[in-house]
Amino acid sequence: MNYPLIDLVFLVVKGVYILAFFAVNAMFLIWLERKVSAKVQNRLGPMVVGPHGSLQLIADTVKLLLKENIVPSSADRFVWWLAPFFVAVPTIAAFLCVPFSNVWIVRDLNVGVLFICSITSVCVLGVFMAGWGSNNKYSLLGGMRAAAQIISYEVPLLLSVLVIIMEAGTLSMQGIVHAQEAGLFLLKPNVMVAFLVYLISATAEVNRVPFDIPEAESELVSGYHTEYSGMKFAMFFLAEYANLFIISAVAATLFLGGWIGFFRPSAVWFLLKVYGIISFLMWVRWTLPRVRMDQMMAFAWKILTPIALVNILVTGLLLVLKG
Amino acid sequence: MLSKINDIVAGFISILKGLAVTGKNMLKKPVTIQYPFEKPVMTEKFRGLVDLYPEKCIACSQCVKICPTAALDLTATTNPETKKRFLGAFSYNGELCCFCGLCQEVCPTAAMYLNKCYEVAYYKHGDLTKIDLLKADKYQHLTPPKVKGLKK
Repeated sequence: MNYPLIDLVFLVVKGVYILAFFAVNAMFLIWLERKVSAKVQNRLGPMVVGPHGSLQLIADTVKLLLKENIVPSSADRFVWWLAPFFVAVPTIAAFLCVPFSNVWIVRDLNVGVLFICSITSVCVLGVFMAGWGSNNKYSLLGGMRAAAQIISYEVPLLLSVLVIIMEAGTLSMQGIVHAQEAGLFLLKPNVMVAFLVYLISATAEVNRVPFDIPEAESELVSGYHTEYSGMKFAMFFLAEYANLFIISAVAATLFLGGWIGFFRPSAVWFLLKVYGIISFLMWVRWTLPRVRMDQMMAFAWKILTPIALVNILVTGLLLVLKG
Repeated sequence: MLSKINDIVAGFISILKGLAVTGKNMLKKPVTIQYPFEKPVMTEKFRGLVDLYPEKCIACSQCVKICPTAALDLTATTNPETKKRFLGAFSYNGELCCFCGLCQEVCPTAAMYLNKCYEVAYYKHGDLTKIDLLKADKYQHLTPPKVKGLKK
């Protein structure tokens, strides 16, 4: 039985769900970030709009929507205009393979992990386009740094993901969750190391403190999105937080067992794990200072990558010894 | 190689220490308040605008004499029989005042004091330079009407 039209309608509905989740989740995360930073600094954070400032982000979004879109006179207009889409669209596309529960997944691709890792790497293109198109030294420096950083940290990130793929024997996100039903991967020491490597390189991947060198305010104004205003800036901003969700969702699925939990609905467990990881990353962000560019690159190539490589070797040996 | 590993371990421990510090701060109560909705209570020795209990004043003019910026000015009438002085007018120039509190210290009957008003803004220049201290409602407008949702 084949009903292409009904399939199409379902796909569109799911797409709308994903878009709505993308926007609402990013807004919630921005609110959470402001609240966490306020907590760390003994402040109250946004309090006026809505109970505990919960509607603050709606007010901010309306403000960004109504703002004038300023184009720098010497900008490379086409590249400049295209860059926010190159950052936002792959991020939304990555949501396709995120397993919110045992049934809530748009498409359970058999190469799910690979799909997410590869499509989020397209973001670096958008970031560099933004840096180049702005025709501004700060933006260009920020874009170059972002490109160097994201490409470097992709290596230990994928190597740590590889450990999980070896353990699970599948690339499908749902398959990896099902493989953990017998027991979480995280209980094995080699997976613990992989989790640590993944968390560090994922933090670098989404340009967060302590690896926020592409947007270092004190050096680069705000890096590649210095020249953007209004809705284009909002797209960068939303994509940044959506990326944070994606890396946390992948971490929750691969290392913490995704939607596996003690009771139904399983989506609650998934979201709890994801927001737990996000809160931890926010806590780290408001604790640590920024690292230097050369230190960061040295850390990726001289420390994280060898650790991840040795970890793969150990995992392989253990798997072979187990039979 | 070994020193490198030591470095990594030491760095990891220092990160954990930092996280502990911020974690402790997260559990503390916030030190800020929602200012226009919540007003802070001023400390005991806070020196705000000059204020007067007219019934206690004996019009001795000591405050006028000690005032370093000549912000105070009073006129008094004397009863020729009992030699007792009565307060005629008492004006205070909030613009000249330097909030030193000398008038409060010198006052023999504790009629003069500095109140806890800290939101000192006027719409007209003349209102600030000629404050009639004998009026009871002179500082009433400095306490704004209740804001909606004001907490106690």
